[in-house]
Amino acid sequence: MNKCRGKKPDLLAYVGGEMSDRDREDIRRHIEACPACADEVRELERLLEGADSLGREMRQVLAGIDWDAQAEKVVSAVWDRGPRPLGKPRGVRPWLPALPFGPVLAGLLIGILVGAAAMFFVLRDGTLRKTPAEAFFASGEFLSRVDQEIARRETLDYLEKSQYVLLELAQTQTESGECRLSEAATLKTRELLSKKKYLNPQLEKARMAKAKAICDQIEILFYELAQISESLTPAQCRGIQNLIEERNILLKIKLLKKELQESEV
Amino acid sequence: MEETRIATHEDVSILLDRASQGDRQAFKNIVGLYQQKVFLLAYSILGHREDALDVVQETFMRLYQKLDAYEKDRNFQAWLLQIAKNLSIDYYRKHREKRREMESLRSVEELQLAADDHRSDPESPGLRHVISRNIERLGERQRLIFVMKHLNGLEYREIAQVLGISVGTVKSLHFKAVRNLRNWLSPELGMQP
Repeated sequence: MNKCRGKKPDLLAYVGGEMSDRDREDIRRHIEACPACADEVRELERLLEGADSLGREMRQVLAGIDWDAQAEKVVSAVWDRGPRPLGKPRGVRPWLPALPFGPVLAGLLIGILVGAAAMFFVLRDGTLRKTPAEAFFASGEFLSRVDQEIARRETLDYLEKSQYVLLELAQTQTESGECRLSEAATLKTRELLSKKKYLNPQLEKARMAKAKAICDQIEILFYELAQISESLTPAQCRGIQNLIEERNILLKIKLLKKELQESEV
Repeated sequence: MEETRIATHEDVSILLDRASQGDRQAFKNIVGLYQQKVFLLAYSILGHREDALDVVQETFMRLYQKLDAYEKDRNFQAWLLQIAKNLSIDYYRKHREKRREMESLRSVEELQLAADDHRSDPESPGLRHVISRNIERLGERQRLIFVMKHLNGLEYREIAQVLGISVGTVKSLHFKAVRNLRNWLSPELGMQP
């Protein structure tokens, strides 16, 4: 059998007359030069002629029917069957006005309802609920070490600040015989007095007796300083300085600081 | 014919409204307008006059029941033919076994006669019979499209509306139906497949 060597045209549309005159003319020229397509066109024409003859036969059957009588018969059969079920008129929703994009909105509504139902069940089951964190357990030994470490750091801080105030006091003697604490040192003195009240129970709890004894001596000095006015007389100043020297308070502070720094937990 | 009296979409809508309110004459007018088209479709699917008339009656009964479901912006003819098509297919499936039995009762001689007398004339009853039998062999959608196109004379667009598919799909299925028929018929009709 011959085969079409070019691009095979739409011969069915050609035979069926479903193309423009220009395309039709192009195909006609192609058929003249292509025996394979010419054969196929003849075959399609015979096939569709046969189909058309079937259609004509059908129309003959059609012509042989009394359609007026048939219509009456159909209507009688419909009416004999009984009244039509009363349906709701379309588009009349007393509870909801007709909306555009009805199917989209319906889908959205269903989605929201399904989502809400899913969330209800999930929340009811407690799937999303955070499980409470397990209670923190720590041994007594660990807690006492924590207390000790806190007390150590607080004491070191207290000693640092005290050392600063006491050194300033030792060095502020002037030639006029009057010594004056700076405002910062005065404030720090008061702050250290209140801090000592907070530090006392910590030192007792951590059993730091030595540190507590030194801190007590510093507290006494600060207490006296606080009771005296900011401006000290030479005698008062000397008295305090003597006290610091006699009791080697600065040295004790230094040694205690060193000891505490080395005993870090 | 009644078809020439009323034709516009507006008139059909008015008739449908009146019929839905129980107007018998309006419904009869609708039947008169469309019964032949319904018959042609049913007959092309079933190939039997009385069966097709049964489907016509059933189609209008169904229409009457579903009058409220009709949306006025839709193509009424396509909607009605859709109902008819579905009923015809149901009818065809329901009576398929009976049809097969009837076919098997046809004598071999009868079939041979039919095969012999078609070769010279495509209009011969033999050729029509062979084509008709081969149309039965097509797949459901190809068969429907072929008969609606060539036997009912519907356009691709109308077929697409009745079947609820795109025009492109209709064209494609029609092409396949013709190709299949050509292949099957070629030895009997003396064609080259």
